Amino acid sequence: MIPILARELTAMLRSWRAVALQIGFLACLGALVALRWPAEGRADMGGMASRQVFRIFGYGLLMGLMLVSPAFPATSIVRERLQGTLALLLNSPITPVSMVLGKLAGATAFVLLLLVLSFPGAAACFAMGGIHLTSQLGALYLVLGLLALEYAALGLLVSGLVRSTDAALRMTYSLVLLLAIGALAPQFLLKNAAWAGEEVIGITRVLASLSPVPAVMHALGDSGVLGADDSGAVARFSIGAIAVILLCVTLTTARLGSRPMDRSRDAGRMTDELSPRAKLVRRVMYLWFFDPQARSGLIAPWQNPVMVKEQRCRPLGRANWMMRLIGAYFVLSLLLVLGATTLSQSQGVIGVLSAIAIMQVSLVVLLAPSLASGLISAERESRGWQLLQMTPLSALTIVTGKLLSALVPLGLVMLATLPAYVALLALDPAQFQTAMAIQTTLLIFAVMAVLVSAGVGSLFRQTAVATAVAYSLVAALCVGTLFVWLGRDAPFTPRFVERALVPNPLAATLNIIGTPGFADYRLTPGNWYFMAAATICGAAIMLVQVGRLGRAR
Amino acid sequence: MSDELVLRTSDLTKVYGNFTALDGLSISLERGRILGFIGPNGAGKTTTIKILVGLVRATRGEASICGAVCGRDTAKIKRLVGYMPDVFGSYDNMRVFEYLDFFGAAFGIPRRDRKRRIDECLELTGAMRMKDLFVESLSHGMKQRVALTRTMLHEPQMLILDEPANGLDPHARVEMREVLLELARRGTSLIVTSHILPELARICDTVAIITGGKLRAFGTLDQIMRTVRHSRVMEVVLGDGAAVAAASQVLAGELGGTSALMPSREAAEIRFTTDRDDAGLAAILGKLVAAGVRVVQFREIPMDLEDAFLSVTGQTGAKPTDAQSGAKPAPDRVPSAVGVGA
Repeated sequence: MIPILARELTAMLRSWRAVALQIGFLACLGALVALRWPAEGRADMGGMASRQVFRIFGYGLLMGLMLVSPAFPATSIVRERLQGTLALLLNSPITPVSMVLGKLAGATAFVLLLLVLSFPGAAACFAMGGIHLTSQLGALYLVLGLLALEYAALGLLVSGLVRSTDAALRMTYSLVLLLAIGALAPQFLLKNAAWAGEEVIGITRVLASLSPVPAVMHALGDSGVLGADDSGAVARFSIGAIAVILLCVTLTTARLGSRPMDRSRDAGRMTDELSPRAKLVRRVMYLWFFDPQARSGLIAPWQNPVMVKEQRCRPLGRANWMMRLIGAYFVLSLLLVLGATTLSQSQGVIGVLSAIAIMQVSLVVLLAPSLASGLISAERESRGWQLLQMTPLSALTIVTGKLLSALVPLGLVMLATLPAYVALLALDPAQFQTAMAIQTTLLIFAVMAVLVSAGVGSLFRQTAVATAVAYSLVAALCVGTLFVWLGRDAPFTPRFVERALVPNPLAATLNIIGTPGFADYRLTPGNWYFMAAATICGAAIMLVQVGRLGRAR
Repeated sequence: MSDELVLRTSDLTKVYGNFTALDGLSISLERGRILGFIGPNGAGKTTTIKILVGLVRATRGEASICGAVCGRDTAKIKRLVGYMPDVFGSYDNMRVFEYLDFFGAAFGIPRRDRKRRIDECLELTGAMRMKDLFVESLSHGMKQRVALTRTMLHEPQMLILDEPANGLDPHARVEMREVLLELARRGTSLIVTSHILPELARICDTVAIITGGKLRAFGTLDQIMRTVRHSRVMEVVLGDGAAVAAASQVLAGELGGTSALMPSREAAEIRFTTDRDDAGLAAILGKLVAAGVRVVQFREIPMDLEDAFLSVTGQTGAKPTDAQSGAKPAPDRVPSAVGVGA
């Protein structure tokens, strides 16, 4: 375990990104505390200011750790596999459990180092008064420490299962989002449902305990995310996190111990080679178009070959997987409408519209960077770029094909959530204008997220880095600016909060809906202009980068 | 095969800062011929290839393929040349047919002809059975075949293959050789780089040896051998090991101190180097027989491409050569004597 730990930690700390991350992290925390540090000899004896800063400080740490903790472990094993060093490790006397614990300790040690760097900020908040040492500060660091360990273990597990770094990042961040936000959804939706008995509510409470949000809210002195004060949230999260860590470590160890290199990709039997009867059965079963074992048709003259290639070489681009995703979101959106019927009429429309909007924004945040960030870097990494350069395809054709390959599946999945709006409009036709404005915002956001991810991603050589940066950028835009909103009473003025929220598509959508807390700002059309400008910048970066890479050196 | 020149380079030079990667390369190649482009690692082979396919711009000089100037007529070059780099460039989750269909479509092969063309090329490279397999699941040898298929799809006039035999098993190597020879027979010109020199010697009509960015030898294999060979390596096999001493004495007397004698009592043989012609060698054989030495074999050890390469690059000690146009001797690498071990 020790050699692995030493190697992982050294490799991580040596990189310039780690240094930049530490410096940036410290600078943000320092600025935050400096903002509310007592000036001119006056101190707030009630501790109000301290608690305000502590809230932003705590949520900032939570957000930062959710983004940083899984990033390194998610690419750890899969990168070893791709570089060929996994075979060397497995061939050494190091046992799989030592390997997993070493990697986990290495990844967590780095995140814990970041937490240690936050101690001066926390100490400053504590020094300003109004914060309890153990029940608030201690509880916050306990939750964050466990969270770092849990998400690192989750990242490692995913890293051992998948075959590419971008898939590892995509899946890990999806699971993190599912655990942090998705785990709260059942309790949020069913808390007022008359038909949900004690047992159902109990199950939703257990699920909610997997999310760190209620525990952090409790530690920061906020009322629970579900409306009520949740005094046992920290203990329940701790138990849940330890269970997840143990499960992930066990599964990753089992995976590494079961000859992970002894896998081949079976091509399966092609439907075209089956007997006419078997072929007919398969065709009917897969509705003719979605059979993964059917031979693909030739690329048609009207199709962009790069787009078809991109769709074929990623699982989500395949018709069968795309249909499954569309189906899942279709069902989810209808479930949300069903949830609306359990709420009172006055809360219902706004509550469900908000929930659907959050789901759609999450969908874009989750899918757009994974679909678009590696469009160029993956090509460079696999050395396919050189081959693409040798074809007569123009830079414009390449860029168009690549962007369409990300926009089309994202658009199709977004369309799958529209039935929820149709159902809501049937209940309340007066919401038509609102629904149109929401769709406009989300459409521009989806295009922007794809183009910005593609543009920024094209600047990096490694897909994993491109994906992580694109995720951070899009998540920072949608969630990061909400930290300013959290400080809307103090330390930030309403004007400052409004300016900070203008670029945020989630805030703009909630503003259109009239969700409490967002209704008082004026975020559109400023948000649309900002996103349009960002879209143009993303497209320009990508076009320039493709043109630059396509030229002879 | 015809004498029509397909490739012509003149004083091709590439400089990166203070480092000259390629220095005044001038070579040419006729239609339907195979050029073996050899050199040690970092010699400038890949730089040359990248200039030819338009990925790198030459600092000085010019190269043209079928009249299209490399680096200027980029669109034409892409259609004229099929380039197979030393790495495969795979796309995950794609079957071989889909992979080839993409490149076919990218090169604008009409849909009605594309399937037939893919099948033809797969058949020629012996990769038809891989058609439905996933690209990432292929072995290295299989990938090489698929890469060659991809390179041939748009029927280029010239194929540039960087290490096509790298990582192939002996059986696959023989098959690859047959494919390349068949392509040459059909009129395609080929530039092939390889570190497996005996393999290259079997297919190449012309050889270019490059080291340190400079062309050291260029010509047909025979021309290079003739120029490189300043002395012959002879082998005398005797009827019995006891006769080695006597035979050595006779040979030493005949050859004087100018040649190295390498006797082996166990193998009952003696090797020696000499610059004598056939008549001179016949006289030596006569002396051995006259001295009562029972000679079983008296033969010349043939020189192969590997010897020629080592000799030209100065790693064994022969003089460098300037067999044909553009080739420049390397005075700094002139060795003092030929040394061929037994």
